[in-house]
Amino acid sequence: MTATLTGTGARPRRERRDARRRRGPSAYLVLVLLFALAGVMLIPFAVVVLNALKTPEEYSANGPLALPEGFSLEGVTAFWERTDFGQVLFNSALISGSVAVLAVLLSVLNAYALGIGRIKGRMWVLVVLLLANTLPQEALVYPLYYLAKQVGLYDTRLAVVIVFTVIQSAFGTYLLASVLSAFPRPLLEAARIDGASRWQVLRHVVVPVVRPTMAVLLVFFFVWTWNEFLIPLVFLVSNDNQTVSVALGVLQGQRLMDATMSSAASLLGLLPTVLFFLVFQRTLSRGLTAGALK
Amino acid sequence: MIKARRGTALLAVLAAGSLVLTACGGDGGSDPNELRLWHYEAPESAMAVAWNQAIKEFERTHPGVKVKFEEKGFEQIQKTAPMVLNSKDAPDLMEYNKGNATTGLISRQGLLDDMTAEVARRGWDRMLSPNVQVTSKYDEKGVMGGGKWFGVPNYAEYLQVYYNEDLFEEHGVKVPATFAEFTAAMDAFVKKGVTPLANAGAEYMAHQFVYQLALDRADRGWVDAFQRYTAKANLADPAWTAGAATFADWVKKGYVAKDSVGLKAEDAGVAFMSGRHPMMFSGSWWFGRVAKTAKFDWDTMVWPGAKMTPGSGGNLWVVPKGSKNKKLAYDFIDITMKKHIQNALGNAGGIPVAADPAAITDPKAKKLIGNFNTLAQNNALAFYPDWPVPAFYDKWVAEVQRLMNGKGTPAQVLGEVQKAYDAGLPK
Amino acid sequence: MSGKATRAAGRERLGYLPYLVPGLLLFTAVIGVPFAMNVATGFTEWDGVGTPEWAGLANYARLAGDGEFWASFRHNALVIVAMAIAPTAIGLVLAALLTDLVDRHFGPRAASVLRACVYLPQVLPIVIAGVVWSWLLNPQNGAVNEVLAAVGLESLAHDWLGDPATALWSVLAVMVWVQIGFPLVVFMSGLQRVDPSLYEAAEIDGASWARRFRHVTVPQIRPEIFVVLLWTTIASLKVFAPIYVLTKGGPGGATSVPAYYSYQNFFDKTDVGYGAAITTVLTLIIVALTVVFLRAQGQGPEGER
Repeated sequence: MTATLTGTGARPRRERRDARRRRGPSAYLVLVLLFALAGVMLIPFAVVVLNALKTPEEYSANGPLALPEGFSLEGVTAFWERTDFGQVLFNSALISGSVAVLAVLLSVLNAYALGIGRIKGRMWVLVVLLLANTLPQEALVYPLYYLAKQVGLYDTRLAVVIVFTVIQSAFGTYLLASVLSAFPRPLLEAARIDGASRWQVLRHVVVPVVRPTMAVLLVFFFVWTWNEFLIPLVFLVSNDNQTVSVALGVLQGQRLMDATMSSAASLLGLLPTVLFFLVFQRTLSRGLTAGALK
Repeated sequence: MIKARRGTALLAVLAAGSLVLTACGGDGGSDPNELRLWHYEAPESAMAVAWNQAIKEFERTHPGVKVKFEEKGFEQIQKTAPMVLNSKDAPDLMEYNKGNATTGLISRQGLLDDMTAEVARRGWDRMLSPNVQVTSKYDEKGVMGGGKWFGVPNYAEYLQVYYNEDLFEEHGVKVPATFAEFTAAMDAFVKKGVTPLANAGAEYMAHQFVYQLALDRADRGWVDAFQRYTAKANLADPAWTAGAATFADWVKKGYVAKDSVGLKAEDAGVAFMSGRHPMMFSGSWWFGRVAKTAKFDWDTMVWPGAKMTPGSGGNLWVVPKGSKNKKLAYDFIDITMKKHIQNALGNAGGIPVAADPAAITDPKAKKLIGNFNTLAQNNALAFYPDWPVPAFYDKWVAEVQRLMNGKGTPAQVLGEVQKAYDAGLPK
Repeated sequence: MSGKATRAAGRERLGYLPYLVPGLLLFTAVIGVPFAMNVATGFTEWDGVGTPEWAGLANYARLAGDGEFWASFRHNALVIVAMAIAPTAIGLVLAALLTDLVDRHFGPRAASVLRACVYLPQVLPIVIAGVVWSWLLNPQNGAVNEVLAAVGLESLAHDWLGDPATALWSVLAVMVWVQIGFPLVVFMSGLQRVDPSLYEAAEIDGASWARRFRHVTVPQIRPEIFVVLLWTTIASLKVFAPIYVLTKGGPGGATSVPAYYSYQNFFDKTDVGYGAAITTVLTLIIVALTVVFLRAQGQGPEGER
């Protein structure tokens, strides 16, 4: 199986390390510009860090952009205790992790039928499945609330997992179906002639080739679900079930907000997503070689 | 390949395990020995300090009963209260916003317990001045000032002028006592290159100036017409027109900064607390924070020359219809209304509704509460301009921004506000 | 192709149908039924609790005459530029630069670091991003104005979010900041499928970077470009949160968008019937656009292979 692949679909990417010798001055210029851009992208994060380390008094007296006078972790620890943040983190990780995995699986199955299977009316099926994304979430809130109450899933994390698995898989289905409809047909036909079943073709031919795309989807679904606000807000009523983005809401009062604690808390809340991204970033560039050529 | 397969297996196990885990949870059931209490006040706020004391006292006087308190986000309660209250997960007692669009709406939907009899029996009506009671009582359409009690406020709030005594001294300006002195003081500051008033055009502060300036030329009947629909409110009348025109004029004169159109209340508060403006006209909700933060001498006063000023009873204790422990809930409210809890609220920087004035030790807090009591006795609390109809707040913000930018005349701006007002009136 | 072969191909295709079953079932429960309920609610007057009252087409009649709603679509056109077109274009160039230049000449580590930096804004909760940007854009002591002053450009200092002339543009700039990480990551993953020898051949032929970009990069990741464009366009038609945390639609409605109306009607006014009518119309508009888009995508070179 893997031997077939090497010839057609994929090729080792880093066979030519010697390309480095041709770095011209313009390449250096581009590199410097890109790093400058990256620096600008990070400025708001620097501001968040700045305020996370201040005391509320310093912030109120000197403003949000002043440098902190000391190094205060008051905001971080106070927020942790106030919201039982360990539990909240666990809930978010559980929900986002489950959604990421399940939605990728669902996307692959859907996309296999649409992109490779090219079943009749696939465009209309796709349009219908895309409704999950085209429909504004506000419109889903009341109906899903009543349905969830009917089946006893109101105020459970499972309800949120199911809802987001479907919503996120719309993107996955579309992206994978598009990628797969450009999949080299001879490769598939060769495998089928060799007697491989559809399931085997999916597992051993299709999945290895699209693994980088699947890794991207996994990262996106995790991050998107992590930052979802409205549906968790409505469905996770008990504090024991709350997610990070909902817990952040306690800091935004009716008329006052707690800026230092919000900064500290959001930093705390985004660490897991950044870690997740960094870990999977490696899979992201390694995917092909690991999957197809070993 | 092997490595990749192990990864897939791991993910599958993870997914399966997490499904089992996510399925449980959400007990929501009722327990006669547990009072489920929700509120959304920050832990260091005066309300939370007093209520924590009340929780301890409740558990002491109700042996065997536990209070299960959950701190909620303001937005979560605002967006989801009708849904939560309509489910079996409703708490036994919760804090909820006063007003037609909030408590009024869910009382009309039949989601709240009518506590009229309980209020009379426990004597809460005698503790609250009639002006404060307005926001607790609703009619069958959910309009405040009606006949049935659906909530009880534990604290109150109003707008006042916070001023930085150091800046007044530094620039040789006298702290004003009348409206004429007020504008004279602002002129003096402008001459020295200091913007006298903190302001935030993107949030509540700007339209509260307009309302206050209109109130300066209005009477109680005008307020009731606008807030409680006792008569047709006319936003083109002389009071409103003068309010909007005066505020537009203040922007031109530099009493408030021209570039405060896009600022949020938080920015304005920080600007005041960092000593950039000598005055801030805003709510008592800033009091505790200013007290804790300001590195200068400061004090508060009622808007100079005001007959009426924006203010009201605070958010309400409401008991959901589905509460399984109503008696416990009312017992808890009763404790929060007791003198010593109310005194604790006052000493922590809040405005109690039934405290003993002699027990308030901090002189600034004493003044804050004294001024409030005078206003309440004189029936001078005029509520807030964004209350009468749902989603009115955003309309006010948008239109007053136009006013500040000079993109709309007072008449145009008030005309747009009138349209939203008329469209939102209860049918 | 003979009729027999076509029939065989049809049967062959039918064999893929089971793979669609779990997706369709879940979809029906989570989206299909609620969507139908939402459409039905659009014909009623309802405040979210109790029994809805039949109102016929009243909500739609009201919507047709709601001038502010339709006017706010104008802003949407610009939002599409900021959230869809600009990020896709920038993301494409960045992805090509990172893959074709940085990765090959400076090593994959540099490319990964840069990609992570550009992607990071996507993980910051939008509420916090809004607060931070309003600090940076603060007219009185914000960093943007102070930097301009420091380099001698005081005259450019501005009340960014308070002046109707610049408020929308400021919001759009923040949106670009939030958004470009998404296309970048998708495109870079797509470029992994591209055979590196294609680039090397082009380079040896003396093709400039711009030519390689046009003739190798873009055609190779065409599917991704379509997906990203459609996706970000849908997102920009539904956009609400980023605008709301920065300007609340202000100053004076200068940055208001249609999705805000449905949100306000659902949750602030609890006029669920009208909110449902608005979302139904918005959904239909987006679906129509999706169909046009998918048609265009299907007509491409790989579409009928």
